[in-house]
Amino acid sequence: MTIHKIRPSGRPANVPHTLVSHDCGPEACEIDWLVSDRVEVDDDISAFTSLSLEQGWGDGLPLVPPTENRVRAFLSENHRYPDKVIGRMPDSTECTVEKIVVNAVMAGARPESLELIIAALEGVTQPDFELYGVNATTASVYPAFVVNGPIRKELDIPCSYGCAGGVATQANAIGRAIRLVMRNVAGQVAGVTSQTTFGSPGRLASIVMGEFEERSPWAPLAERRGVSGNAVTAMNTMGTMNILDTTSTGAMAFIEMIGKSVAYPAANCFSPAMEYSEMYIGINPICADLIAREISNIEDVQEAIWKFAKLPGDWLQEHHRVQVEAQGRIREDGFIYATPEPKDIILFVAGGLGGLHALGLHSFGSSLAQTRALATVDAKATQAA
Amino acid sequence: MSSIKVLDPTANRQSDNASPGPDAGPLAGKKIGIRVDQIWRCWDWISENWEAKFRAAGAEVSYWRSTNRSGEEGEEQLRSLVEWLDTLDCAIFGLANCGSCTGWTVHDAIASANAGLPTTVVATQNFEEFAHELSERGGRSGMRVHVLPYPLNELSRAEVDPVAEEYFDGLIKVMGASIGEQKAAA
Repeated sequence: MTIHKIRPSGRPANVPHTLVSHDCGPEACEIDWLVSDRVEVDDDISAFTSLSLEQGWGDGLPLVPPTENRVRAFLSENHRYPDKVIGRMPDSTECTVEKIVVNAVMAGARPESLELIIAALEGVTQPDFELYGVNATTASVYPAFVVNGPIRKELDIPCSYGCAGGVATQANAIGRAIRLVMRNVAGQVAGVTSQTTFGSPGRLASIVMGEFEERSPWAPLAERRGVSGNAVTAMNTMGTMNILDTTSTGAMAFIEMIGKSVAYPAANCFSPAMEYSEMYIGINPICADLIAREISNIEDVQEAIWKFAKLPGDWLQEHHRVQVEAQGRIREDGFIYATPEPKDIILFVAGGLGGLHALGLHSFGSSLAQTRALATVDAKATQAA
Repeated sequence: MSSIKVLDPTANRQSDNASPGPDAGPLAGKKIGIRVDQIWRCWDWISENWEAKFRAAGAEVSYWRSTNRSGEEGEEQLRSLVEWLDTLDCAIFGLANCGSCTGWTVHDAIASANAGLPTTVVATQNFEEFAHELSERGGRSGMRVHVLPYPLNELSRAEVDPVAEEYFDGLIKVMGASIGEQKAAA
């Protein structure tokens, strides 16, 4: 029996590069930095929204017209050149800052959110994120984002009540901007390039939430993944799964409920379509505190949850069992574990102070979460040089 | 009402090569690659059936199995795909029978077509149009696609084997291949 362990690859996405020389600076150059085609439309949001639907640009909700002035102002406030290539999409399309900004304007995002949007898209375009499969699949998958660092407060990214959806903050516009880029640059359109059977409300504005660092007994998620300060972790999810626990009293009881609840035969982590996957779990601050009183080390919490997140091999239907057995996933104890190793159960702390619930985010295929730092002004200047 | 000019939010796809690529031609003496996956048992069964026919026609058959596409295993997959393609005279890629598996089937087929190999994608009927769409977006709109009935994986082996028999001649035609008549009947 050989368990396929998850080892992130060293494959470079595409080294960010610029398309023209920046020697003269954005104001001094005589060239037109914006290369997008211009389309004439009535100066009216309804007219533009109708146009966007005709052109296949929109998501069905009203959109802000991306005029040249709005796009230039967005770029200027961020000291960004529009021709910078941030990543390469599944069909080799280059995702430039210009296209990101045009879509961000349409989504109603504010200029100060651009660096978060760019960092999120840097994560999405990494080879290990498997955007190629994400775009095409019949699954309901969409990327969710957990934000760390002071930027959470500056952008009012929700960490507490309703953080996974429904809170009236600009996190919705940020997530919508990312989704529009996935539609208009990555080319993900349901029924055309995406075969998603059901889709998900998360395909409209994704999930953009902060980790509740102030109430977490453990180090921030991004820091545990090697990135301190302002950072975003992108993780593909099939949707939100609620884990209700009104009975547990101690750490191990909570952990058992969480671990057992995320393990069901048709979950991504038990699919024979691939040998491994990750699992993401949000723990509410009350529960996290109770767990940490007994288990202070988060790696130990991951291991404890992992030990419960399993299914007996002989419980599966024959065709299913035969395939996972051929992959070496039924271990000597007769169980299939949700992930190859405890480290692949990725935990973060978020949610309201009412407690009671945990958030399960089952991953997609063998895609791996990606954590990226947000660029600083100094870093941008270095990149532009 | 006054008008404004807005910027197009879409990005251009790469340039297209509409050629289907070279015909596979006579198969005797050639090495035919069959790409399989670890999802569709029906495709394993059909491949085994077609392998026997190819061997009877004097061809050699080599398999390559798609598994994980992320991490070090994904990196190794890409390396081994390129190495495998280098050993072949023509290649068959399947099975386009879901969203992501159509995506990766076409992805790998495009690598084959761009390497100059006679290349054919095998899709089930529901994913035929999708396979063409992804091929076009990948810059190979002329990709050869052979279509099997749908649904297929839900059938038993006893039901799938006749499908393999029935659709073999069509495969040869789409590949632009030829085999001796007496051997084809084997």
